[in-house]
Amino acid sequence: MVGAASLAGCGGGGGSTTIATPTPVVPAAPTSFDSSNCFDQIIPGSGGNSLRTLIVPDTLKLDLARPPGFPNGRRLEDPVIDILLSFLFLDFKVTGQGPMTLANLPLNPPGNDIPFSSEFPYLASPQGNPMRAATTGTRFDFRSDPESAYVRIDRMGQPAIATTLIGSTRKTDYNDADPTADMAGTYTDEQVHTLDKLHVAIGDDLYALGLKLCSRNK
Amino acid sequence: MKIKLPIFLKIVFICFAVGILSGSSTFSADHLDPPGRTDPGVDASPDLASDIDDVFAWQTDKSVIIIVTFGGPAALTASAAFDRDVLYKINISSALPADTADTVITAQFGPGANANEWGVRVAGLPGVTGALEGSVDTDLVKDGVKVRAGMFDEPFFFDLVGFRETRSMGLIRFDRSRNFFAKANDTAIVIEIPKERFSTATTPLGIWAVTSRFGGQI
Repeated sequence: MVGAASLAGCGGGGGSTTIATPTPVVPAAPTSFDSSNCFDQIIPGSGGNSLRTLIVPDTLKLDLARPPGFPNGRRLEDPVIDILLSFLFLDFKVTGQGPMTLANLPLNPPGNDIPFSSEFPYLASPQGNPMRAATTGTRFDFRSDPESAYVRIDRMGQPAIATTLIGSTRKTDYNDADPTADMAGTYTDEQVHTLDKLHVAIGDDLYALGLKLCSRNK
Repeated sequence: MKIKLPIFLKIVFICFAVGILSGSSTFSADHLDPPGRTDPGVDASPDLASDIDDVFAWQTDKSVIIIVTFGGPAALTASAAFDRDVLYKINISSALPADTADTVITAQFGPGANANEWGVRVAGLPGVTGALEGSVDTDLVKDGVKVRAGMFDEPFFFDLVGFRETRSMGLIRFDRSRNFFAKANDTAIVIEIPKERFSTATTPLGIWAVTSRFGGQI
């Protein structure tokens, strides 16, 4: 890791010139975190939502009385991963840190590789030369079986929540569950525990860089 | 342009830490999740048609637009992921409790009478009498609601390659001009609903999608 401490140690291999500058005191980085605050802090500009209220239940929230744009709904052009990473890691009480801190860098590609359309159907046309379905049909053979004949495969509400905060051992269970299970707190401990580990993994790096985490030292 | 600032290196570590610690094989909105059912790297018979990639929802002055994508990112030569045995449900909560759907939109695909013909049937649309039915890759309109289901460009953007390279090499490899999901396609259901159909909503809309397969997992 490239941090203040390691940089301060460079050039210490016996050079003849010595500059008598004080050795900076780098506080020891925390090694254990409680990320509960990350779930509870209010996200600026979100209409009073916290990460917790956004993901429990795991539904995409769209307040029709407020301008759209993630986390109020999700537009095609929204850089949701960068924004979500801010939600997961940054302390929004710190001046200069907000939901768009990482998106403004940007961390990831800031947009799609080809333009979206401003009109229906909004998505861009397929690229390349895929085999397209014929559009000449007028009668189609749809199943009429009851829902009980189907078995759940996948569910999704908020982007990247299942992929980031649900560990591999619970992914199938999470996708089989309904939002009622989210509301019942079935995955609360799992989500906090997973985010705790994420903060342990990179907390020292962020700490050394001067970014302030939303987690607290244990 | 390669990102050179230390801050970016640290943030890259955030990204791969997310992937590592969550146990996911990829960092995505929901692509290839749950891995045991949809990821070719984990499942010998991945259910791509049932693999929800993204859920988008936003509003304009007149409409609420909901898009569910699946089966991506698909190669530019791949066909759309139409599958008669998959049931798509778009659930919308518009009143408390937030974990219960007040509107359930269902979508199915069915083959036509001739080779390579596919149709879509969408039911449960607010303010629409009966189901809306017609050919894929065609704008369908009924009672003021527009639907188009078919193949589109993959709309998600994220540098998954940089994430993987940085993880494996320990070097700064993140490149915000590189989008793993570029030059790929997706299958999608696009629905545009007049905004007034939600005028009785007493809470922000809560939207989530689920997929189920007839007869169980493949």
